Parts: sequence; structure tokens; C-alpha cells
Amino acid sequence: MKLAGLGRRFLSGAAALFVSTAFAQVSPDRIAACGGCHGPDGNSPVPGVPSLAGQPRVFLENYLVMTREGIRGSEVMQALLKGISDPEITAIARHYNGLRKRPVAGDTDAAMLARGRAVAEKSLCGSCHLPNYYGQEQVPRLASQREDFLYEALIAYRQNKRPGGDTIMAASIYGIPESDLKAMAHYFARSE
Amino acid sequence: MKKTIRFVASTALVAGVSLAFAQAPAWQQGRPAALKDSKLAPNAAKMTVTPAAEIPLNKLTLPPGFKVEVWAEGLVGARQIAMNDDQSKAWVGTRGIGRVYEVADYGDRRNVRVLADKMNQPGGVAFRNGTLWVFAIDKVLRYDGIEANYGTNPKDVTAAFNLPKQQHHNWKYVRFGPDGKLYVPFGAPCNICEPPSKEYAQIRRYNADGSGMQVIATGVRNTQGFDWHPKTKELWFTDHGRDWLGDDGPEDELNRLSKPGQFFGFPYCHANGVADPDIKRADACKGVTLPVTTMGPHAAAMDLLFYTGKMFPAEYQGVAFVARKGSWNRTKKFGYDVVTVRAGADGKGAKIVPFMTGFMSAADNTFWGRPSHLAQLKDGSLLVTDEQLGAIYRISYSAAAAKKK
Repeated sequence: MKLAGLGRRFLSGAAALFVSTAFAQVSPDRIAACGGCHGPDGNSPVPGVPSLAGQPRVFLENYLVMTREGIRGSEVMQALLKGISDPEITAIARHYNGLRKRPVAGDTDAAMLARGRAVAEKSLCGSCHLPNYYGQEQVPRLASQREDFLYEALIAYRQNKRPGGDTIMAASIYGIPESDLKAMAHYFARSE
Repeated sequence: MKKTIRFVASTALVAGVSLAFAQAPAWQQGRPAALKDSKLAPNAAKMTVTPAAEIPLNKLTLPPGFKVEVWAEGLVGARQIAMNDDQSKAWVGTRGIGRVYEVADYGDRRNVRVLADKMNQPGGVAFRNGTLWVFAIDKVLRYDGIEANYGTNPKDVTAAFNLPKQQHHNWKYVRFGPDGKLYVPFGAPCNICEPPSKEYAQIRRYNADGSGMQVIATGVRNTQGFDWHPKTKELWFTDHGRDWLGDDGPEDELNRLSKPGQFFGFPYCHANGVADPDIKRADACKGVTLPVTTMGPHAAAMDLLFYTGKMFPAEYQGVAFVARKGSWNRTKKFGYDVVTVRAGADGKGAKIVPFMTGFMSAADNTFWGRPSHLAQLKDGSLLVTDEQLGAIYRISYSAAAAKKK
């Protein structure tokens, strides 16, 4: 049996709070504020601050929601996003998803790169993050991300300081020595 | 690394590089070399609000006479529902977004507000004698007099429940049993492993204050739903099967606890007697209580509810409803529905019949909704939470509507 259309006799009071998500635009002021640290084109020039360009939309959306909720992100980010609406979050996510990720600058340590590649391949990171490490859906892009940020994020997972997603990442790096986490960050940062 | 966790992954070593760590990630433990290049990954959660107008209810199918409507919306990641005695209020747990919602029901409309936030996967909610308990992975909160008090000052009672350190599969589903005890599962912290200590892969019950802890079931990998049989008062519960053994199994389980202390097989024996290929022991299934029925491969069988209402036709009396959130570790999607299980009180002769379908499309291997948890309203209608779209659906029945078909 096919059911008749929406049985929406009962509309939650909460509905009034939600604006249509379809056509929300992100304000230039907001993007300018983000660009101050994350770079005007989403390629971050600031140590410890991640690049946003080319990240999957769902990942960005989820991360922004978790930051607004006070679960993830720095205090600065939580303050900047306090009270932001879902449609604006979606618009920001679309904006940065559409920007082009540029390769990172910096010297390459061949031994560390090989080590990082080996650990990443053994850990099957490419399963969820895809073999080119471009990420997909809720899974972030690692390729060309800032090395210092990647390492900090891995350490934070190790310490259960990045809750909110699944517990999979914390579980995924269980038992991997810090020197190998460092090598992976080196490798991912140099993947294009 | 704890020595007691056995390394079971069999991925190829990269030539010339010695890798010191031996612990496979929890979600891929037991993953065979043949699936090394698999792209199967957990489904993405949706963490933004979905307005009711954007929920494609017309895609859902129910038996003749049944109707579905959106009962509440905007509850991102909605999972377990607990209600007060007169059902004027419902509390709804979540995982990723870290919130517990409160739904106030005014009959013709409902208001949703956030009761708690910033928590680490507060999936479990239970109400008894005016008090609400909230279970996150690493925290237990008690809201005394929640119906009168706006719930701003919970007591942190975490210490009383002795929660283990590993977080994987330790998000909660909690219920008070007919014995007045609080039943709490502790999942296996891996896909497949010899658990690192005896705290995992079990169901415990406690007095409401956390005292008198008793382990009542062991060998339980990850249960996210249970209920007590209306006649026998025995505990029945779902359990998720392990991953990375291919598309067809081992299947999820619907189990029955006929006496406290029974062993349900994890990690040695799965489903209806499948010996684990990674964690081996002689007579893998010896002494294992096998399920009432298997629930399908990678189906993610979630909540279980024995129907005792008067609204649905008589044939639904005592029938078990099971929500299946749907698969990720499978090439072709499976589940994404609510089914009925008809079985004897002794668990014999179980038969599964689809009840609410249409959340997924086999044709293009996609899904839009993930039915997760259940509750029965006083009028006999059934509530179903949709974790993907953050909604609660209400299913009602009308004999007149059935005749029109």
C-alpha cells in the first residue's frame, strides 16, 4: 500500500525555527571572517589551522555543527559559530567544498614520506578517505592538508578529544606510535 | 597496546618497511586480505535539521489500514525514546550531535527543546518514578523531578556505574526492567576481538542508584534494543553481527535470555552457530545460547518492542517489532525498515515479516531514512525514530481505512 501524502496535521513547534535550507546564501562578512585564518581561498596559511578548500560538504557541515554545539573545535571557533543556523552552515560547507585545494609548500623527507605511506596503507586509511585521500561524505580530505594540523588532529583522537563523530577514528589509530602518526601527517600533506 | 587484544587483521605488509604496531583499527579488525581494497565505509550521519516538508513519507509502505505521519521533527540524530507515565513528555537520545531532546506533547502539536548538550554520544535515556537517566559513553546524568523541574540541574552519577575506558560500541541504550532494575549494555570495543577485559560484550543490571550490579548476559557484541516478553517477562534483545566477513553474514541476532548468566557467543560463535574464523576456540558454539532468529546480514537490528496496544489488529498482540537501521558493511544495502517477528513465548518458530519499508531503494542502492528506535503510545499507535532525518514518525491503524483498500 502506498501511503497518502504527508500526514502533517501535527507540526512541531520547533518547525517555526527552521528556515528553508534550499537557497540560503553565505554572507561575505562570514566568509571574510573565516578567511582571516583559513585563507581567503580556503588554503590555510596559519600554523595549526586547517585548510577548508575541497573538503567534502557533509564533513564540513558536520564539523561546523559539532563546533557550534561545543563538542569540537577551538574556543575561538565555538565563539565565532555560536547560534549559527543550519542553513548558513550548509551554505558555508558548499562554499568551501567548491574551492580548489592547492598543494602545500615545504621540504619533503623521503624516509618519513615512505614510512607514512606504509603506515597509511597498512591502516587502510584509503578505505574511507579514498585511495587518493580526497575524502568523501562525512570523511575529511587528508590530501594537501596542513601537516601540523593533521598531526594535532591525530593526537587529539588518540586522547579522545575529538568526540562527536563515530568512535572509529580513535579506534583506528589505537596502538600506532606517535612517530608513525607524524609520518602519516607528513605523507598526507604531500599527497595531491 | 594491551596484550590481551589479539591481532587479527591480515593485511599485507609493505615490503622493506617494518611496522611496529600490531593493533588493527576496531572497525576493520578481522578484515581479510580479499577485502583490502573495499570502499565500504560507515554511512554519513546528517547533522542538520530536516524540515518535515522535506521528508518523503509517500515513499513508505505499510500493511493495509496503517498510516504514518511525522509526529515530531528537528531532532537531529534521534535514537532511543523514553516517556513519562502519562506520555506528556518524551526524551530522545542522540549520538554525534551530543544532545538529549525533550518533546512536550500537547495533543495537537509538539514542542521540541534541547534538554542536554555537549555530551559524548548520549544515546541512552530511561524514565522511572519522576526521574530521567541519561547515559553517554563516558557520563551518566540523573534528572530528579524532571516533569516539574526544567531539568537544568542534573546530578552527575557517573561514578556509580563504573563505565569502562574503551569507547567503541559503548554508546548506550538503557531500560528499566519489570524488576525495577536498570539494564545497561557494554559493547565489544572492536569489530572482532578477545575483549581487553571482562567489562565488555555484556548486559548488566543495576539498582537505580548504581548499586547491586549484576552481569546478566555475556558474549553480546553490541545490543541497541531490548524489551521484556509480555507473558514470560524474559528479556529479549537484538545484537549486531560482526563485519568484514562478506555480504551475507554473519547475520544480526534476536536473542532471548531465559536465565541470567547465559553466554551469547561473542567473539567465538555468531548468528545461528557460525564459528568465527579469526578468534578460534575448540567447539566454538558449545555452551552458546543461539538466537530466537537471525535478523539479516549487516541489518543493524536496533530497537525491539513487544506490541501490547489495542489499536492494531488482534494478530499484532504480543508481536515483536524490530527496527533495522540498515547496512554499511555490505555491497547491496539491506534493512532500512521495521519488521515484525512472530515467535512462541519459548522463542520457537520465529517468522520475520516486513512492516514498514521504503527507506531504501534496491534499484539504485541508496537510502534516505534509518529507523532506529520504537515506543508505544497509550492509544496503541507506534512511534519510530529516524536517526538519519531526525524525525519521529507515528504509525496508527484504522479498520475503516483497511476496508477501503
